[in-house]
Amino acid sequence: MRVRTLAACGAAIIATGALAACGGGSSSSKSGSTGDSLVVESSFNLKTSDPGRMFEPTGLLIDRAMYDTLLTFANGDMTKPVPDLATSYTASPDAKTYTFTLRQDAKFSDGTPVTSADVVFSLNRVANLKGNPSFLLAGLTASAPDPHTVVLTSATPNPAVPFIVPNPALGILNSKAVKAAGGTDGADADKTDKAESALNSKSEGSGPYLLSSYNAASEVVLTRNPTYWGTKPHYGKIVLRNVASNVQKLDVLKGESQIAVDLSPAQAQGMSGVNIVNGASPNLFFVFTNNSPKVSAATSNPDFQEAVRYGLDYAGLLQLAGTGSVQAAGVIPSMFLGSLPASDAVQRDLPRAKAALAKSGLGHPTVSLAYPSDLQVNGLNFGDLAARIKQNLADVGITVNLAPAPTQTALDSYRNGKEQLGLWYWGPDYPDPSDYLAFLPGQTVGLRANWAKGADPDLEAMGTQAQATTDNSARKDLYQQIQRSLNTASPFMPLIQPAQILVSAKSLTGVHSNALWELDLSDVS
Amino acid sequence: MTAVLADRAARRAERSAARSPWRQPLAVIGLAVVLAWLVVAIFAPLLAPQDPIAQQNPLFVHPGAQHWFGTDELGRDVLSRVLYGARISMPLAALLVTASMIIGGVLGGIAGLLGGKVDAIVMRLADLVFAFPGIILAMAVTAALGPQLRNAVIAVVVVSWPAYARLVRGLVLSARTSHYVLSSRLLGASSLRTLFVDIRPNVAGPVLVMAALDMGNAILLLSGLSFLGLGAQPPTAEWGAMVAAGAVNFDKWWISLFPGLAILTVVLAFNFVGDTLRDALDPRTARAIRT
Amino acid sequence: MTPGVAEPGIVPAGDPGPAEVTADRGRHADLVRFLGRRVGIGAILVVGTTLVAFLLTQLVPGDPAAANLGQRAISDPAAVQAFRQQNGLDKPLPVQYAIYLGHLLRGNLGTSQQSHRPVSTDLSEYVPATVELALFAIVISLLLGVVFGVLAAVTRDRWPDQVLRVVSLAGVSMPTFWIALVAFYVVFFKLGWVPGGGRLEPGQAPPGHITGLYTVDAALHGQWDLLGSVLQHLVLPGLVLAVYTIGMLLRFTRASVLEVLGNDYVRAARAKGLPEWLVIRRHVLRPALVGIITVAGVAFGSLLSGTVLVENIYSWPGIGQYAFRSATNLDLPAIMGVSLVVAIVYIALNIAVDVLYGVIDPRIRLS
Repeated sequence: MRVRTLAACGAAIIATGALAACGGGSSSSKSGSTGDSLVVESSFNLKTSDPGRMFEPTGLLIDRAMYDTLLTFANGDMTKPVPDLATSYTASPDAKTYTFTLRQDAKFSDGTPVTSADVVFSLNRVANLKGNPSFLLAGLTASAPDPHTVVLTSATPNPAVPFIVPNPALGILNSKAVKAAGGTDGADADKTDKAESALNSKSEGSGPYLLSSYNAASEVVLTRNPTYWGTKPHYGKIVLRNVASNVQKLDVLKGESQIAVDLSPAQAQGMSGVNIVNGASPNLFFVFTNNSPKVSAATSNPDFQEAVRYGLDYAGLLQLAGTGSVQAAGVIPSMFLGSLPASDAVQRDLPRAKAALAKSGLGHPTVSLAYPSDLQVNGLNFGDLAARIKQNLADVGITVNLAPAPTQTALDSYRNGKEQLGLWYWGPDYPDPSDYLAFLPGQTVGLRANWAKGADPDLEAMGTQAQATTDNSARKDLYQQIQRSLNTASPFMPLIQPAQILVSAKSLTGVHSNALWELDLSDVS
Repeated sequence: MTAVLADRAARRAERSAARSPWRQPLAVIGLAVVLAWLVVAIFAPLLAPQDPIAQQNPLFVHPGAQHWFGTDELGRDVLSRVLYGARISMPLAALLVTASMIIGGVLGGIAGLLGGKVDAIVMRLADLVFAFPGIILAMAVTAALGPQLRNAVIAVVVVSWPAYARLVRGLVLSARTSHYVLSSRLLGASSLRTLFVDIRPNVAGPVLVMAALDMGNAILLLSGLSFLGLGAQPPTAEWGAMVAAGAVNFDKWWISLFPGLAILTVVLAFNFVGDTLRDALDPRTARAIRT
Repeated sequence: MTPGVAEPGIVPAGDPGPAEVTADRGRHADLVRFLGRRVGIGAILVVGTTLVAFLLTQLVPGDPAAANLGQRAISDPAAVQAFRQQNGLDKPLPVQYAIYLGHLLRGNLGTSQQSHRPVSTDLSEYVPATVELALFAIVISLLLGVVFGVLAAVTRDRWPDQVLRVVSLAGVSMPTFWIALVAFYVVFFKLGWVPGGGRLEPGQAPPGHITGLYTVDAALHGQWDLLGSVLQHLVLPGLVLAVYTIGMLLRFTRASVLEVLGNDYVRAARAKGLPEWLVIRRHVLRPALVGIITVAGVAFGSLLSGTVLVENIYSWPGIGQYAFRSATNLDLPAIMGVSLVVAIVYIALNIAVDVLYGVIDPRIRLS
């Protein structure tokens, strides 16, 4: 083979005159790594950079750098929203009215000052586009009593608002420019707004970076915004490239890039000469057992559910997930308010699991475990976890048939509540425990396990109460209580939060991961 | 005319005496490797040191005395998985080549013999399949049916039958006009009888050679689909899927190197055999198969 | 799989068909009639492929809305309805297909659900990337395949032939996806002979758009530095793809040349005392070229789809990755667009090959 390759290379030289290609020694100049520009590699999940339509990881990453939000999270701390475009905010005691005061010196990239009208336009547009991020504003109304004040009112108490508004999907757009490009915030925006393609070629924000070029398949280039009101970012140009995670590793080791976003713990293991930021991600992997006897007599049996809960080898799964991952003590990720301490996590108890299975009277049941076969979250493969779960439950006496399907097919059966056992994950929509009420009976995720309204009235009552409570310590207690109840009797078994890893060149500082948008590009220096 | 025929026959006899395919070193090597892999496939449970799906070892162990081919990302023994992989690739490749051969052969034979509308329909169908590149159509079919090994096999059959149909049709067309077939038909033999008794012997040789050559391609395409995640699903020990799993970690090269070599050796062996057999055919027929 | 050549490109064994000597007269009329018929059949085939693609995607047990909407939006009836309306999924299937065909007639391929752009815009970006890669591979393959194929034929059964035989069979036996990994790791990472993946350096601006093929565009604009960079990025994935086709063309060239070498006129040329290279070039290669070009055309088609196994590792933003992404996102218009383009390229290639066939060898009647 070697001889052939050399021969082929020789012919390639003749054919193309590309002497440098086979010239040996080092490859060409690395335009990316020198001086003023930064190369970041990620495995793209990018559909658009229009904040109103965007809700994919790569979109969040770049929109965070181009658009300011009312509040934001700094240095990866998701427990405390800090000022961004709003210098301060006040909340009414009933958690229904939030008043934001805007900073006066913020300008859009064309020099127009940012006003409350832009904020209201941007938020209304997100809501009316009826796209992926629209749910963030469900029940919220924005108004602008004066040019530098914005009021968000909610029909029901909503203590999560300060945690919702930092989402890059709620980035503030230059309303004049967007309207000129065919944008609208009208009620029929989903049919009449035409601004997306314009926003994919030129950003209309007030953030630290501008969109310089956009190719959803290969590369997005950002350049420094000269009119940015905040601290001038270090790099004049950031190139974000779409690269498979295994190649990202080679590139960052080789100096082709400076930051690799998507490495798995196994990939990051043993790398030297680079910095590794390694912390638990807020993504929750969990197993559910379908609560409907129509779907499965076994999985709907509470004793079976207990057998699964205590039959899973959490420590083994954690080892599989790699360094930096943590066991999920409850459904709420460890870095959010209301999460359970690690000591509350369920541990494997085989005798207890076997006893529960015996009590169920099911004998040695056979069930199928569905999971998305082509999906990776934080570099972790569902198939690997599923294979291990199959082995775990075999120890208990439960035969698991693996039922992998491509994500789109699997999602269909998952969202329609047809899976006997399911292995899925939940990513936070916003870093507030109220996002996890979705696991309660009759709610989004609960219904996927056919856990219908009224299945656990006490738990549901706690959920309603938690939603209306505004005091943080009372909220924390309530959410912990809810999770303990879920850990005692429910169709859900939280497994792990995989590690979120950022690998960067030794020379870089300011690389800290963020649970929502992976990292703050503008902080890197 | 008869002189030409006689001359041709003589030349063919001469060639086959001098170059019997089974005397060629490549064919012998190829056959030996194929047989070796067959033995591995049959006796995998005896040969493999471990259960191929048991996750019982430390993760990512380097190849060494303990594990000759190392262990993978779930702590499974790579050698055992490579050996068991033969049990998937070899029989499935044989199965799908046979299926494509039968489907394509029968359709092509009927098209060639009956001609007219039937011929047009079958061959346009074949064109339709050819208009799609194999792997893309196979991807679409497995996506539609669900990614499973069985569906990947179906997909490969769907894309590979037309080649046989073409070949058989061409052979039948030329045989149909030959003297002995014409005379047999004049004597009142039915179409089917003509096809099976008079034409089949002329067709069987080239088709079998094509099938031998196709075995390698079938293994490549099947493992390619598994590599893309559309064929074998975990924890099945399948070579293409193993290469994909190993590709995640370049520095754990042993996880994908060995299954890749397994594919290469099997396919190469089949091609050694097929290529030698093809050379033994007469050149015009060989040319029809060559592409 | 064994790629086929559409008739009448290949002469089936013993088929008394196309290889007949005809008078010069009527050749042009023949050509026009032939082209007309082939293009007509081609158009029907193209529509057929869109129907097949449409039906196949309908068979997929998944919901495009579920595949494209987020975990929250999917629970919101307003968002689901907006999605269906925007993408025309709220209409019955036959109507959807009819609407698609109607738009197609006007050159509108619909809007991709994953890129939110017209599919035609997506394709115009991704198709040239793949074509450039495949063209590079086929040029290399033709050069090496023909040169070494002739070498193998003239040294028949001696050691160079034996070695080349093993090498070419190894080429066609190599799993592309595997050799792509091995080559990338060794040549890029270990040896550092080529830059990493992608078509250009990070942040490097592509040449002005003329053909979409960066090599050609850079040359046309006289951007020689850029051309160098493009070629450096092209060389490794191109060679990886070529491994299979080099083997294939080498084998084919050898066989074709051997066939021609047996002819009387070659013996006559040799007897005249012409130097061997001249005999080969003038009397052997030219007739052998007919078949070689046919096979190269077929090989080019298979290269276009073979890139799907290579593009991911080389971060090549081509049609293979686009097809894969579209399939996993159930992006209907994109899937249809890809099938359409690929089918058109395939059919056009086959027609072109057949015409070339006639140009090179005037004895062949196009029928």
